Amino acid sequence: MSSNILLRLRNVEKVFGDTVALAPTSLEIAAGSFVAIVGPSGCGKSTLFNVIAGLLQPEQGEVELDGRLINGATGHVGYMLQKDLLVPWRTVEDNITMAARLTRRVTNDDRLEARRVAHQYGLGEFLRHYPSALSGGMRQRVAFMRTLVTHQPLLLLDEPFGALDAQTRLEMQQWLLQVWRETGRTVLFITHDVDESIFLSDRILVMSPRPGRVVADISNPLGRPRTFDSLTDPHFVEVKSQIMRLLHGGDQ
Amino acid sequence: MKRRVLRNVGVPLLSIVLLLTIWQLIVVVFHIAPYIAPRPWGAIRAVTTDWSTLWPLVLGTIRETVYGFFVGALLGLSLGVIMAKVKVLQRLVYPVLVLSQAVPIIALAAPLVLILGFSVTPKVVIVAWIVFFPVTVNVLDGLSHVDQDLVNLAKVYGASRWRTFLQIEIPATTTPLFSGLKIGATYAVTGAIIGELAASSGSSLALYQEHANSNLNTAAVYGTTMVMTVIGISWFLLVVGAEVLATPWQRRSVARRQRWRRTPDDRTNVLNPK
Repeated sequence: MSSNILLRLRNVEKVFGDTVALAPTSLEIAAGSFVAIVGPSGCGKSTLFNVIAGLLQPEQGEVELDGRLINGATGHVGYMLQKDLLVPWRTVEDNITMAARLTRRVTNDDRLEARRVAHQYGLGEFLRHYPSALSGGMRQRVAFMRTLVTHQPLLLLDEPFGALDAQTRLEMQQWLLQVWRETGRTVLFITHDVDESIFLSDRILVMSPRPGRVVADISNPLGRPRTFDSLTDPHFVEVKSQIMRLLHGGDQ
Repeated sequence: MKRRVLRNVGVPLLSIVLLLTIWQLIVVVFHIAPYIAPRPWGAIRAVTTDWSTLWPLVLGTIRETVYGFFVGALLGLSLGVIMAKVKVLQRLVYPVLVLSQAVPIIALAAPLVLILGFSVTPKVVIVAWIVFFPVTVNVLDGLSHVDQDLVNLAKVYGASRWRTFLQIEIPATTTPLFSGLKIGATYAVTGAIIGELAASSGSSLALYQEHANSNLNTAAVYGTTMVMTVIGISWFLLVVGAEVLATPWQRRSVARRQRWRRTPDDRTNVLNPK
């Protein structure tokens, strides 16, 4: 491989009682890449994320970030869910600086950065607003900025746009690609939406349940930058049918 | 803004005026004798004419109410937090707490006097006894319903349990905490009066009323009741006011002021740091 490996999983397994949530899985994620993970419910996507985030201790195997073993250790990744999890009692600015507040004193640099990021990505007018005053899309953007300013090289995004309407979701996908291009982070992106996984990623991991495992690792042939035309590109259609076959069996 | 003040202050005031009017009408229309039920104005006058005697007693009742409220609130908050954090204690202590509220408070007063004498202490204890319970129950409930995804998110960021508690769990419990405090505030005066009835040797608002009652000074009896009610309502309103100040996000969409003053890009405050 030409690029550096940021995240490496070796034979990572997670079991809950009798259920193998994640069968032994090995993965290598290149620094700066955008990797999408698709699969039905119960395929172990979120388990995989929780193991990488350090919320779950794997039964066996190694999780290595930038060469360091981080099994069961938190504080190493950015993490974002479908629920924006903004705290209602803090303003947008204070929500963006949340990670700092949870680990140390919030400095002026933290606040300045929060403001800079908010201005840069179109929420500068709303720094003093409480989350209740924002729309769903704006709230998800704030949640993403909060993830961004943790300065973690690896961002785990678990269906971040799953609760948004189709129109807002398209806007947010474009926006995410812009931010990703400008910040050079590595993104692992869980989604149910096959179109979304292809539209955003360099690489798609298809997962399957019972036991949860990666059944296909597809290198996305779709060129960048991605536009609305990408959605009708022959490469797009080809990859989509490949994934659909994997998810729903051969005859589809 | 004007309309809101009218709605929030004017309408409740109007309902009180309406209540007094109905009272007045009933007394007048049914020719009720003043020693059975005075007219509102008579009750108010009974209080104002004897205000110099009443005022120190009122202060005494306020003191018992406020002290008891704070002791009860603090105790209630602590118990709620401890029980939420230590599940074994929750199972152990909860039945005792329920038991404590099942005991008729009047029955409790007599032994309290034996133990604590006739000082302000037994009244404070009775008020605290009433106030802590709704606070504990609400705080416990609030803490057990904090979004676990939010707690996990804090964990992923590398937050310690203490920071998570201070930054996530406690703020998330503000609303239930104030629900408990408001319930406690409404009952606090009742507790103080019960304490005064059972545990006063000298003078107190409750004894003043008893004295008026035995003298068939019904106007003073009603007047004193009104004074007690006013103390209760005032304390409740103060707690509501504290809640409004403590939870600006419940009413506002934009924060009144951010901590702009403490940032280097704000000139005036770089020169004059706080």
